[in-house]
Amino acid sequence: MGANCVRRALVPAVVVTFLVLAVQLTVLSSLRIGGVVVMLVWLWPFAVGLTGYTSLALVTALVSGVFFDTHTTTPFGLTALVALVLAYAASRLGREGVGDLDSAAWWVTPVLAAVAGFFAPLLYVAAGTFALNFNLWRGSVLSMMIVNAVAFFLLARPMTRLARVVSNVGERVHR
Amino acid sequence: MATDRSKRRAWTLGVVAVAILTVLALTGGVLSGLRSVANLAVTPFNWTVNEVARPLGHLFAGAINYSDVVSQNQKLRYELGQAELKSNENWPLERQLQQISTSLNVPYVGSLPTVAVQVTTLSPTNFAATVQISKGRDSGILVGMPVVANGGLVGSIVATTPHGATVRLITDVNSSVGVTFGDGKTSLVVSGRGVNNGMSATSVPLATPIAPGTSLATNGLNGGLYPPGLPVAKVAQVALTPGAATYNLTLRPSADLRQLQYLDVVLWEPTA
Repeated sequence: MGANCVRRALVPAVVVTFLVLAVQLTVLSSLRIGGVVVMLVWLWPFAVGLTGYTSLALVTALVSGVFFDTHTTTPFGLTALVALVLAYAASRLGREGVGDLDSAAWWVTPVLAAVAGFFAPLLYVAAGTFALNFNLWRGSVLSMMIVNAVAFFLLARPMTRLARVVSNVGERVHR
Repeated sequence: MATDRSKRRAWTLGVVAVAILTVLALTGGVLSGLRSVANLAVTPFNWTVNEVARPLGHLFAGAINYSDVVSQNQKLRYELGQAELKSNENWPLERQLQQISTSLNVPYVGSLPTVAVQVTTLSPTNFAATVQISKGRDSGILVGMPVVANGGLVGSIVATTPHGATVRLITDVNSSVGVTFGDGKTSLVVSGRGVNNGMSATSVPLATPIAPGTSLATNGLNGGLYPPGLPVAKVAQVALTPGAATYNLTLRPSADLRQLQYLDVVLWEPTA
């Protein structure tokens, strides 16, 4: 994907990111599963990353993370940092063709997302420790890891499909 | 070549992102401005999603939970009647307490003005127990003011905008409240344990006469964050490690934090 294609895909990607953010803030924050909020703002950049477009994934991670962080009282930038790490890791996998919806086995994308969902809260708590917030571990980190892993597993394929549609916009316009 | 360029671009973006985040974190003023701008940008999307999702959610919830809602309504009417009865019975005592508190120059929460507010948003994250409320600085709400509802202390204001504020609940991991019980001679500090985990107090001396069911209220010590006498929590469990000189308490908040719709912000500023 050339630079022009990425630039063209940026607008739809950011618009979808805002919609994901709105769903996160208005729906998922009250729809807690076992008391845990499913972090769609982490899954979305991960899904964009799996399409292999690193820059696009990092931009969606930054936008979703920063805007989400402005709505919480937790240390600013932590959600964005975790989203950036997930997006970058996914984009490395995506570039190798791992997790591709067409060529890989059906379960590869969901399993990768589940692994991401499992470790993301842990990464958040670890990053929080570096930000000198030592209290984050006192929440139910294990239940957050499990619920997010299951939710990411279930939502991985539709989100990755959406990410592919968004990232293909740039290419279609280019053609 | 192209891969090298995209790799460089990715790294540049990452470094710029981290640099921006660091600068924003270090400058609280910019952060506050950014919050307002972010709220402004996300609001139309939130509104759209809300308008679509809310009727659907109500439709499903109504279809599934109708009988529960009816029985809950009946129960609440009964509880309201009981509370009114109790209030009518207690008013002479309350007046007496208020008079004594005034003569001793101790703030009495019943006499402090409050602002009724509505909860607009629950915390969107797993790592912070907070709620957004419908009134802010323009209604006289300031950072540090206590918030009460459902029969006890709910939390305190941690951020304000002209038309809204953020309440940190007492169960938040960064929340701690000075409390007392019984004759008021012993003070403890209770801390939040996360969104669904209640509260706890650690390193309580063995000599402290406390048992499950004991009610804890704010101690209102000089320099304290809350006025005295606000019910905070009840002791759910007393855990004693063999050989230890202290025990740990598991506490259940007095206010039902799962059902927060309307709150009262006590217009009381912490003493210096």
